Amino acid sequence: MKFSKNDDGTYELDVTGYVCPHPQLYTLKCMEKLQDGMVMDVLIDNPSSVESITQACNGKGYEILEKTNPKAGVTALKIQK
Amino acid sequence: MVEAIKRSKYEAYAIGIFAFLAVISILYYLSAPVYVYIIAYLWFGFIYGILQQYGRFCFASAFRDLIMVKVPRMFVGIIIGLIMLSIVNSYIVSIYPDKYIIESIGFHGLLGGLIFGIGMVFAGGCATGSLYKTGEGNMISLTVLISLIFSQAIFQATVFDWFKAHFITGKTLNDIGLTKVVFGGVGNPTAKYSFVQHLLGDTLINAVLVGLVLLIGVYIIVVRKPFLKRRARQIAATAGAVADGGTVKTGFKDELAGFWSMISASRRTSIAAILIGIVAGAQIFTLAWMQNRYNFTNFGQVLAGKPATGAPLPNGSPVSANVPSSWPQTNLTFPQVSHRNTVFDPGYWYITTQEAMFGGWVLQHAGFSMANNTYFGQNNGLPNPWLSPALLLSIGLIFGASFKALLAREFKWKFPHTKSAYAYAIGGGTLMGVGARIGLGCNIGAFYGPAAFGNPSAWVFFAGLFGGAWISAKYINFFANRRLASDEMNFDIEL
Repeated sequence: MKFSKNDDGTYELDVTGYVCPHPQLYTLKCMEKLQDGMVMDVLIDNPSSVESITQACNGKGYEILEKTNPKAGVTALKIQK
Repeated sequence: MVEAIKRSKYEAYAIGIFAFLAVISILYYLSAPVYVYIIAYLWFGFIYGILQQYGRFCFASAFRDLIMVKVPRMFVGIIIGLIMLSIVNSYIVSIYPDKYIIESIGFHGLLGGLIFGIGMVFAGGCATGSLYKTGEGNMISLTVLISLIFSQAIFQATVFDWFKAHFITGKTLNDIGLTKVVFGGVGNPTAKYSFVQHLLGDTLINAVLVGLVLLIGVYIIVVRKPFLKRRARQIAATAGAVADGGTVKTGFKDELAGFWSMISASRRTSIAAILIGIVAGAQIFTLAWMQNRYNFTNFGQVLAGKPATGAPLPNGSPVSANVPSSWPQTNLTFPQVSHRNTVFDPGYWYITTQEAMFGGWVLQHAGFSMANNTYFGQNNGLPNPWLSPALLLSIGLIFGASFKALLAREFKWKFPHTKSAYAYAIGGGTLMGVGARIGLGCNIGAFYGPAAFGNPSAWVFFAGLFGGAWISAKYINFFANRRLASDEMNFDIEL
């Protein structure tokens, strides 16, 4: 699991290799650390966590700007606080 | 181009799985037509696997995500599915009254639910969730499954009879089914009821009313406040300015909108839940019809060569003369079948017992004496895995999930890569195994099925599940906070 800051000022959280509940838990905890307007990319390879994160973002008012599949089995979410 | 080749490779694997199961099914049927019964288990499992993978259907997430990340989508999903399943069940048991199953209410349900609940959150999936996730290539879930298999088998062969004698036998409320309570007949095993009576007793009270109360509770505790806050902001933004100095009042209409937003939040989960409810009902109907068609009440009779009607012969005697030609001409004996010529053959969606039987079978063949107990010896037997009806459902479920995950390009081999991942998987799987046996079933066998059948016992198990899930969710949350507070995660954040 790795949480890092990119050169362009966005953040990145890699939770590949982890299963429920860790991806959704760490994604939301890291989002809480960001300030409004900041963007974080999350890499997940646990499909059910993607569903939970999407729902949690809707509930909290975070916007999912982009959802892509960089490779098979991996989902990348770009979330704005 | 490369992308297209990769896509077609995934599709080819998916088709390969389907073709493999189709060929296996044909071979079973050619071997003996009655095997269509266990083929039905396999294919129902396959459909459950597809639907569960599509809807990310897992009971662990229903409780855990609600507690940890305030996401009610799966909790809503299981209640919707429960109502659907209960409607179908009410119809089926009005046609096949002997399929009306009523579980006992007792302390064992609460304790079993609690231990199972703790385990499923640590394991990252419930018993059936771990099966579908194994199908997604998740070897952490396979580790959970293996732990679940052997912890159950060992517990049943060593501790269970003692536990049963001290905490279950004579200490339970029996035959309490809502239809029986409402329309009379508690204690009368041959009481029969109409579809409408089952619908009013089992479905309306035990599934719809209890489900609605729980959903309203979740709405009030988890969804209401943030929803109304967002709603007020939206109203204020649309109005441009607020007349009364900044506060926006929300009313009953907004509450209803909030409740509906919770129900409709995840279309994917709700669709899967409704379809699972219908398929689970169809499974009961199909298997009951096949039992009638092939003249047996438990598949163990087929394996032992003893039809349900006709002269019963003692265990171990030669094949009965009246064995139909559609049956295999075999007479398997104890411990392949139990002393009562039965194997575990629930006739509906069930998950854990067949896996315990598989564990028992493996250990029996490794030289341990596994059949000298009530569970294997008197009830479930230790049949070869390829002849264990419900085990074929579990295997079908894994393949169904693989099939769907491959088509959606979500299949990925994933192995535990830290010590803590192993610890969570093995510890969680073991606790689930012990909890399932103490509670006489898992989240499906002790909760979902019985809840749909109008059994209040299901809600006792459910209360235990919630308590257990709460304990482990808080535990994991505590360690997540500690981890985030340290620099272990390679933080590069300045706030």
